[in-house]
Amino acid sequence: MTPEETTVLAEAAVEAVREASRQGRLVTSQDVLAALEADGTFLAPVGLESKEQPPLAEDLCALLAGILAESQEIASFESLSGGRTLYHAPALLSRTYARILDRKGFPLQLMVEEIRSNSRDYPRPVPVELFEAPPFDLTPEEIEHALKALAASPDHQDITFTTAPTGALYLFSTLHLERGYATFLAQRAESLVMNP
Amino acid sequence: MTTTDGGFAGKVLRVDLSTGKISTQDTREKYGAVLGGTGLGYQVLWEEVPAGTNAFDPGNKIVFATGVLAGTGVPCNGRTAVTCLFPTCWPKHLVGSGHMGGNFAAKLKYAGYDALIVEGKADRPVWIFIRDNRVELRDASRLWGSGIRRANLEISQEMGADCSVAAIGQAGEKLAPMAIVSNSLSHSAGGVGGVMGSKNLKAIGVQGSGAVRIAGDKGQWEQLIKFHLSILGGNNQHVVPSFPTPQSEYYNPGSRWVGEPGKRWGAADPPVEITGNIFDLNRIAYRTNTAAFFLGDGAWKHTVRGNGCTACPIRCHTVLSVPAVEAKYGIKKSAQNTCAGLFFGRTFFKSMPGGFKGPESLEACMVGMHLADDLGVWCNYGQLQRDFLKLQREGLLKAKLGAKEYNSIAWDKFEAADPAFLFDILPRIGERRGELGHVLSQGTAGLFSQWGISEEYWSRDHNAVYWKMGHPKHHANEDDGQCGVIINTQYNRDSQCHSHSNFVRNGLPLAVQKKLAAETWGSPDAVDAVGDYTPMNVHKARRARWSLVRKELHDCLGLCNWMGPWVASPLKERGYRGDDSLESRFYSLATGQKVDREGLDLMGERIFTLHRALTMRDMGEPDMRARHDTVPPWVFEDLSGAAPFTKGTIRMDRADIALAMDLFYEVMGWDKATGAPTKEAYARLGLSDVGKTLAESNLVPGSKA
Ligand code: SF4
Repeated sequence: MTPEETTVLAEAAVEAVREASRQGRLVTSQDVLAALEADGTFLAPVGLESKEQPPLAEDLCALLAGILAESQEIASFESLSGGRTLYHAPALLSRTYARILDRKGFPLQLMVEEIRSNSRDYPRPVPVELFEAPPFDLTPEEIEHALKALAASPDHQDITFTTAPTGALYLFSTLHLERGYATFLAQRAESLVMNP
Repeated sequence: MTTTDGGFAGKVLRVDLSTGKISTQDTREKYGAVLGGTGLGYQVLWEEVPAGTNAFDPGNKIVFATGVLAGTGVPCNGRTAVTCLFPTCWPKHLVGSGHMGGNFAAKLKYAGYDALIVEGKADRPVWIFIRDNRVELRDASRLWGSGIRRANLEISQEMGADCSVAAIGQAGEKLAPMAIVSNSLSHSAGGVGGVMGSKNLKAIGVQGSGAVRIAGDKGQWEQLIKFHLSILGGNNQHVVPSFPTPQSEYYNPGSRWVGEPGKRWGAADPPVEITGNIFDLNRIAYRTNTAAFFLGDGAWKHTVRGNGCTACPIRCHTVLSVPAVEAKYGIKKSAQNTCAGLFFGRTFFKSMPGGFKGPESLEACMVGMHLADDLGVWCNYGQLQRDFLKLQREGLLKAKLGAKEYNSIAWDKFEAADPAFLFDILPRIGERRGELGHVLSQGTAGLFSQWGISEEYWSRDHNAVYWKMGHPKHHANEDDGQCGVIINTQYNRDSQCHSHSNFVRNGLPLAVQKKLAAETWGSPDAVDAVGDYTPMNVHKARRARWSLVRKELHDCLGLCNWMGPWVASPLKERGYRGDDSLESRFYSLATGQKVDREGLDLMGERIFTLHRALTMRDMGEPDMRARHDTVPPWVFEDLSGAAPFTKGTIRMDRADIALAMDLFYEVMGWDKATGAPTKEAYARLGLSDVGKTLAESNLVPGSKA
């Protein structure tokens, strides 16, 4: 490919990721390839149609992966289900949101990651109802099941809870929050509706 | 209306109720140095109301003052500061101000006035009619005894639909210190209703056909407004939503930005579903639903819309419709308010059967708004209810009231958390009926002066959160450690400052807050994680100073300090930065007088210092540190015994708070020993005359002969 053709391809690939992000979707390089093939922008502008031997899909995906890795606009991460690199445009689909989307379907990991990052970054425990609301959309049964599994899992012994005086349950990670502080923060969070 | 360079309407209207004389003054010439709002009010009190005046004396003046940005297209404007000697201030009435939003400020400016000064006392009930140059005192006899809603309706019918009416209810008429004046149904200023009542002034109706002129370039003005809109979050400038979104890296379940696609204003006709991108500028008004935040998700289905102040897209006064209360309590199904006014009713109860977010709580709030917003009762930022509950809990009501009066109270309804209890308790307070009504309508001051309860005893209670001088804490150490404590020492009522709390509650992670703090106040150490406080440092003192100065600026410009300042934003591409120079940029464009951030802050500091001077003069007190800037004992105690600076306590350390006050006085250029502004500080702020007057009374450090 000429440098010009590479530029056109790069722009088309980035735009395909952007478009997916706009729609709230994460994409693999295969998805990007499919999008470029579907709208004809892959073959036509870059002159690949003149090749005698059509390139293998894996090669094309590798090419696109290389292009996307270069882009300042695009972020990628390994999907939780393994073996797939997922792309998104953080300006349109934030890193936090992208990871939540990736973990949908894996309630336990979804909760663990969210609880740990909240405990680490803000820092704060999170109310258990958070996971019933969008974009988590877990059912009370899924949450209960995940909490039971967490309690039994040696890898997740840092995940625990505290109960505010209102009875509300707050989850936190002891890797990042001491119990006493988490209890204080849960109590404070509940008190905000009385402290305008 | 008079045209000026811009921003200012041009005139200050003065109405003497004793003589009926109506006059005007040139705003810029007379009050330009104090901008408007509280600054204008402080200047009037400084110049015209002698020390020792009682709040209800005809000699007290009540100043309704707007500001340069009121009535313009600047987001979150429309605020009127109502300043006078404040009747709930204990043990002496000192300067204080209430702040109302709505559309009164804009109408006053469109009529050609930046402020209205009311003095004297009418010999019969009157209301003030203002239609541009036509200003009249009209008879209010037929309105006297009626609630705020009827007064509003009748005056609106007389003036026409495009007026704004600020009225008092029965509480104000009966000279209850705990009385409000309110316009546009729910936009109230607390504590000043009784002062209007003492002047026989039922209401002010205002209508204006003019406009506010903007001196600067129209294109730049519109661009700046658009930029301002782009950095707005939800109510209280919470810049992240309460739920994860594709647009933001951050969220905060405690954010007041609760509106998201899929939620519905269920009681709108037809119901409105939130759709699209909640980050879009034309979606800002969907972000805030104060009722859903304070009363729970169940409030969505009762939401009609948001009501708000002029040009404010936040619209934090949620309009609710709850048909059940019509049949159950015989009241209107709709009501609106925000924050403490919204949940006025539920806080009279120890608990509610379904919790404070349950349906019973919602009904109690509807009944509370129905009664309090019409009688015109003020809650003193919830202190009324906290006092009531403490009095009851500790058997003090039984001890203080005669058996007959005590037994006449519907305690069965109180114990059952039945909202109908409010039909008993609130009229007692609003109409000042019986001993209970007489005392509670004076605020916490009434407990001290009428029932001999000691202030020291009251200020030990961790639930009552009483601070000093008759008023509660307002975003103190529970939100912002030493910074909150300093701010709460400075006023003669609760501090009403949100500059600091809007920042610490904005929902961004601590690391981002610290980055913004470093840029704005010089060090990441200017802010701590809540309840993980570190020892005092000078950066916190600077932030406290900045918070107070900006609060005064907002109150003088007609802006909402419940939203500003805007140092953080929802914009990822700006690193979540807002813009700390927004106020000065708006001021410069509006007036045509170019002032930078530091220049405008200096004006704010002048106004804040004038408040200090006025307080010192009226107290006759040189040692403000010991006698005014006090901190209640509960701040220095943790019921679980936790030591200061341990994680999970809001307990402060006495020596550290002493250092905090030292550093604060130092950054203000005040005397460390007494907390009094020095001669140099007055001179630096263009207040040499004020300093000179105080020096004559030995109220300036080193002024003793
Ligand atoms: S945030 Fe609320 S109080 Fe402030 S200006 Fe807007 S509507 Fe008025």
